[in-house]
Amino acid sequence: MMPRDLPVVSAVVEAGADDRIFDSLLLIGPLVIGLIVILGRSLVTEAVAIVYIATFVGYTLYRAIRE
Amino acid sequence: MNGSVATVGRDLGRILEALGGLVIVSLVVPVVWGEYFALPALLVSALVPLGLGRLLYRRFQGAEAPGRFHGMIVAASGWFSVGLFGSLPFFLIAWSVQLGVPGFTTPAQTATLAAFTEPLNALFESMSGFTGTGLTMTDNEELLPRTLQWWRTFSEWVGGVGVIVLTTAILSRPGSGSLTLYESEARSKKIHPSIVSTVRTIWWIFILFTFLSILALWLGGMPIWGAVNHGMTGLATGGFSITDNSIATYDSVAIDFVLIPVMLLGSIAFPVHYLILQGDLRNFYSDLQTRWVFGYMGIGSALLWGLLYFAGPYETPFAALRYGLFQFVSAATCTGFQTAVDATNVALGRWPSYAQLTVTFGMFVGGAAGSTAGGIKLIRGLTLAKGIRYQIADVFYPETAVRRLEINDRRLNEKEASREFIEAAIIVVLWIVFLVVGTFLLLLTLPSGEYSLANVLFEVASAQDNVGLSSGITGPESLPTIGKVAFLFHMWIGRLEIIPVLVMLRTVFKRGGLYQ
Repeated sequence: MMPRDLPVVSAVVEAGADDRIFDSLLLIGPLVIGLIVILGRSLVTEAVAIVYIATFVGYTLYRAIRE
Repeated sequence: MNGSVATVGRDLGRILEALGGLVIVSLVVPVVWGEYFALPALLVSALVPLGLGRLLYRRFQGAEAPGRFHGMIVAASGWFSVGLFGSLPFFLIAWSVQLGVPGFTTPAQTATLAAFTEPLNALFESMSGFTGTGLTMTDNEELLPRTLQWWRTFSEWVGGVGVIVLTTAILSRPGSGSLTLYESEARSKKIHPSIVSTVRTIWWIFILFTFLSILALWLGGMPIWGAVNHGMTGLATGGFSITDNSIATYDSVAIDFVLIPVMLLGSIAFPVHYLILQGDLRNFYSDLQTRWVFGYMGIGSALLWGLLYFAGPYETPFAALRYGLFQFVSAATCTGFQTAVDATNVALGRWPSYAQLTVTFGMFVGGAAGSTAGGIKLIRGLTLAKGIRYQIADVFYPETAVRRLEINDRRLNEKEASREFIEAAIIVVLWIVFLVVGTFLLLLTLPSGEYSLANVLFEVASAQDNVGLSSGITGPESLPTIGKVAFLFHMWIGRLEIIPVLVMLRTVFKRGGLYQ
């Protein structure tokens, strides 16, 4: 069984922008927020949040340039 | 007639089932926060719409697919029903705390929560939430149980995209019936040929942007519970807050400036977001509405900044920029977050009349059609402006001239141009009529001399354009009962762009014998 066969994952993969990175960001989002809820504000959690947002912005720009 | 009742009943049942599902999902909040006293009330609030919805759906399961007429009735009655049944958590939790729940420890009753023991206040809060308005019957949101803070946020988040979009996404009934319902909820453009794929992609985009908004706000300095709530209501351009003074509570320049792009994201149409995620950034300027989202927000904010700095209450250019920019974007995106309050600077209601009217104009026009924003929508305003220019210029051309009206890369012939112009004009005229009637009504019912005409017009526009900014009139005590009922109507027609509600009321009155 592949991860994309799981109910939530398959729903995310089938909808949206048909892109693995964006799909991954969507699936990881709740985990990042959950991590912040559990660990609170720290250098690590702030870095994770920054990386999450930077990945989205950077990848959107990358796709635009590639287009 | 029976066929119509069956079609409407079946789809209304589906919407109520979806609402019941939303309340069930929310059961996790009182468990996480230890507010166990809210569980029985929330469970009842879920079971009532779920049971009624199931009953309606089973009874009318074989009904025909909805036509345009049915779509409008379903949209109007569906949104009213969602507002009505969505008020149950407010009402029942308030009474649970008031009377106590056997076997559970309940907190002390507060004046804020006690306001919801009045059914009208609970209905107002629910309707304000689902329509994405954000006007509130609470005195101090911080004192509400976390469960109700969440329910307010969740209702705005879902309402921002639309209950029919949600129902279609979950229950995935393909075909022309779903498309008709989708269009009756003030949406027109599809992202994919399939309507089910379209609504699922809308939710995909919306959820991804919600995570980004939450994390950006948290990085801006907001505590995580505040970031979750404000991220959701900001992106949904709803504007409910969990703090007493809205965003002004944080009094943070960073948070103010992080929220501006969040609100702007909410006011851009989903099909444009989709294209941008596909790498087509040209849509930021090639799409007429998106271009104008930035152009119109920029011009409006600059004007408001000038008014507030050169003739208004702020003494430094940066203070005028900070509050002027935020409040214009908050108004024009129809979000309704407030940073201009007396606790930190100068309340909106005490801004000069011309500044308040500038903000009112921002609310009136609103964001892009196909986004979560309210107002008459940019495309309608632009169609009207271009249409008027087209009609006037017609005089200067010979009668045999073949002319085209260009709107958003579409070249309309005379007949098409005339039809689109008339459709836009009808909505705008009705919008203004209801705005004026509402203003008269409120002026008649409010204590004389307490509020200026600018204050009253501002408040009515805020309700009808689903914004939620307040000049201080809305509140459990300050707004008279007639005003509350009128605002319920304004919020309802504002969310559905008037026509579906009028069609439903005409049908009800005609069949009830009140209208011939």
